[in-house]
Amino acid sequence: MSDSNNQSTHGMMAEFDSVDSLLAAARRIRDAGYTKIDAYTPFAVHGIDDALGIKPTKLPWITLTGGVIGALTALAMQIWMNSINYPYIISGKPYISLPAFIPVAFELTILFASFGSFFGMLALNRLPRFSNPVFTNPRFDLATDDKFFLYVDAKDARYDGEGVARLLGDSGAASVDPVVEDETPTEVPKIFFTLAGVLAMVAIIPVLVVAMMRVTTSSQPRFHVFYDMDFSPAKDAQQVTTLFADGRVMRPDVPGTVIRSEDGFDIDFQTGVDMEALAAMDPARAEHLVRLVAQAPADEAAPADEAAGDQVADAQAAGGASEPVDNTPWLQDNPLEVDAELLATGQEKFNIYCAVCHGVSGRGTGLVHLRAQRIQSPTWVQPSSLHQDILYANNYADGKLFSVITNGIRKMPGYGAQISASDRWAIVAYVRALQLSQNAEESDVPAGQRAAVAQAE
Amino acid sequence: MNIEPENPTLRLPSPVARLAMPMMGVGAVLLLVGVLLGAIFSSVEMRFAMGAYLTAYTYCLTISLGALFFVIIQHLCRAGWSVTVRRVAELLMSVLPVMAVLFLPILATLWIGEGTLYRWDSEEWVAAHHPDWLNPESPQRSKGIYLSDWFFTLRAILYLSIWAGLALYFFRLSRRQDDTAEIRLTERMQAFSGPAVILFSLSVTFAAFDWVMSLEPIWFSTMFGVYIFAGGMLSAICAITVGVYLVQAAGSLRQQVTVEHYHDLAKLIFGFVTFWTYIAFSQYLLIWYGNIPEETFWFGDRQEHGWAIVSLILVFFHWLLPFLALLNRNLRRRPAYVCGWAAYVLLMHFVDIYWLVMPSVTESPTGGVMGVVTTVLCSLGMVGLFIGAVLRAGDGAPLIPVRDPRLQESLAFHNI
Repeated sequence: MSDSNNQSTHGMMAEFDSVDSLLAAARRIRDAGYTKIDAYTPFAVHGIDDALGIKPTKLPWITLTGGVIGALTALAMQIWMNSINYPYIISGKPYISLPAFIPVAFELTILFASFGSFFGMLALNRLPRFSNPVFTNPRFDLATDDKFFLYVDAKDARYDGEGVARLLGDSGAASVDPVVEDETPTEVPKIFFTLAGVLAMVAIIPVLVVAMMRVTTSSQPRFHVFYDMDFSPAKDAQQVTTLFADGRVMRPDVPGTVIRSEDGFDIDFQTGVDMEALAAMDPARAEHLVRLVAQAPADEAAPADEAAGDQVADAQAAGGASEPVDNTPWLQDNPLEVDAELLATGQEKFNIYCAVCHGVSGRGTGLVHLRAQRIQSPTWVQPSSLHQDILYANNYADGKLFSVITNGIRKMPGYGAQISASDRWAIVAYVRALQLSQNAEESDVPAGQRAAVAQAE
Repeated sequence: MNIEPENPTLRLPSPVARLAMPMMGVGAVLLLVGVLLGAIFSSVEMRFAMGAYLTAYTYCLTISLGALFFVIIQHLCRAGWSVTVRRVAELLMSVLPVMAVLFLPILATLWIGEGTLYRWDSEEWVAAHHPDWLNPESPQRSKGIYLSDWFFTLRAILYLSIWAGLALYFFRLSRRQDDTAEIRLTERMQAFSGPAVILFSLSVTFAAFDWVMSLEPIWFSTMFGVYIFAGGMLSAICAITVGVYLVQAAGSLRQQVTVEHYHDLAKLIFGFVTFWTYIAFSQYLLIWYGNIPEETFWFGDRQEHGWAIVSLILVFFHWLLPFLALLNRNLRRRPAYVCGWAAYVLLMHFVDIYWLVMPSVTESPTGGVMGVVTTVLCSLGMVGLFIGAVLRAGDGAPLIPVRDPRLQESLAFHNI
């Protein structure tokens, strides 16, 4: 860069009055074999890349790399967060759920590609820099006004000051000047360091305040930065409001609301009771049950249901406890066709909803029970073992088991609201299979698999 | 450069122009045979045949509509680069009146058959599945009214007249300018392009609801109109690219359309491939995440009985492959390469429309051998008719708007 003898020149700058003369000169310089050349114009000039012989930029590849890294980062981040570090089921989707990850992946692709473009552009142009020798000539300011400049760098292999100046002059330049050493000092001015120091000290203050707050106590109530986020104006269930005339926060169904029930509506299927037979025996109870299950019209609906449900549950489930004889005409058999698929569903639901208390084996030794024992909970009652004679199919109808799952019994809550009726029937089928599994003879095992059983023992 | 209207290199070469009537004739015959197969062979139901007709019709219609939007948007943003390719787009849109006539068979299914194509058209079906649509006291009555023969017909007439009107308006003014060179005509088209965009988007959205979405009368997606538009716009740009390339191959427009125009068309194809994917995925994501049975069944139908393969074809071959193929700038500046991918995307657009329409009509993705024959005949016939009509419109007109005030800008157009 610096010649040994005197003040060095960085290159030669030629000034032009029009786009056409600039383009013509650029082509000439290019054809003369110069490669380290550049043009400065007040606006984008079509065809200047070609005239300067500039090779296509590598920037798109940096952008592409940025985009690919962005997509991979987003996917890796979400997979790690949502399925490895903190596995969490959201909306019942799998842990690794590609569609849910795509929006974030898309955004990060764009972000990283933009970073690639922006910082790649800066890097390829060797920016930012404190100064550029081309600014030493005051006429160069006209590059943002109405003049066009062509610059040949001294680092070019073919560069010789006189020859370049002559060539540029011949190409129609209005003036040609050497670009001399930039005399702007290269050191950063002291004032910047002072300012940076002051800023750094000021920046520590909030941190110190926070640190102090952590170790001291205050009698003042907590300061709420976002008051309406700490105290949401939204109402909770069961609260009152002045917004509606009846004062209820929980709104009844709008008239005309369409009930989405399972395929068809079958009262026996929903209750586990042979309703026609019950209607013949005890019309009042049948009517009450029907009204409960079939979602009575809006005017006599909801609020009372909860309590009534408990009553009915007690009455229905009374078989074991208070009432020795249960006359209810329970459905004896599972209304669904029992096959491997149904049992698999039943097993899945059982393990989700029932096994925590009743245990995976159904012996009443689920995790909740084990924990209750460990902390010696005084109010805990051990969940029933499902492997008791009185609960087997010949003593305890399928419909009754269904009803217990639906409405609960003793300390067990009802699961009717959480598990759909067909899944409840699937659980009934699975419980039967579970019971059978504890009482199976060798002859129950298909002949082909007996050897495997023997081996397992 | 000679840009006189009489210059033969600015016109359709006569061997090509002479194909117009034969193509229309053969197209009409194929179409008729295709649909009649449905009536004759019991293995192909009439419903399937009309579904194939609707697929073929929607395919050509969306291309034509996309071309209409392309023309409108050029006027709206006063684009200079596109003038030399605008006439090809104008020819593609100028057949919208023909497309209006070709809608008649679909209307006929409403008035002649009962639920031949649209299930909601059958009173029996409505009474069995959605009695509330007929119940004056139910809020769902409005759906029954919306999906009634007469209202559907009225709306169809409205959409078709809006499109035919817009197409003829922009085509005639542009053609008149070839003779008179009035700048005022360009100003008029620019002034009308704003209202035209509004008319266009509303009518296309509702037509997409009516004609394709109502094949599943329960299903709804407010994004559906945009989805149809995205596919149509994409394929219209592809059709313009292929059209210009073929015209150049036949010897016309060699100097007027340059690599710069192909580069811009390729950028648009790339952009709209992405836009289509964006819309398609957004529609899928919302329904997938909401997971409401009334909405998910539509995608469910498209993941069963082999339709899953078609769905995956769309993901990988309607989006991923053309996306990667058109990513590189150097490749986008090769006219033959761009034309090849444009033709490819046009094929994928057919798969897309087939995937939209047919699962509502048939369980199996092909409909058996006769189903394939019906689909192919209907599609070839419709495309033949379409291309024939475009050639007929192009015969005798210069293939660039020779007196457009921005023509010089377009001829000298240069990407940086």
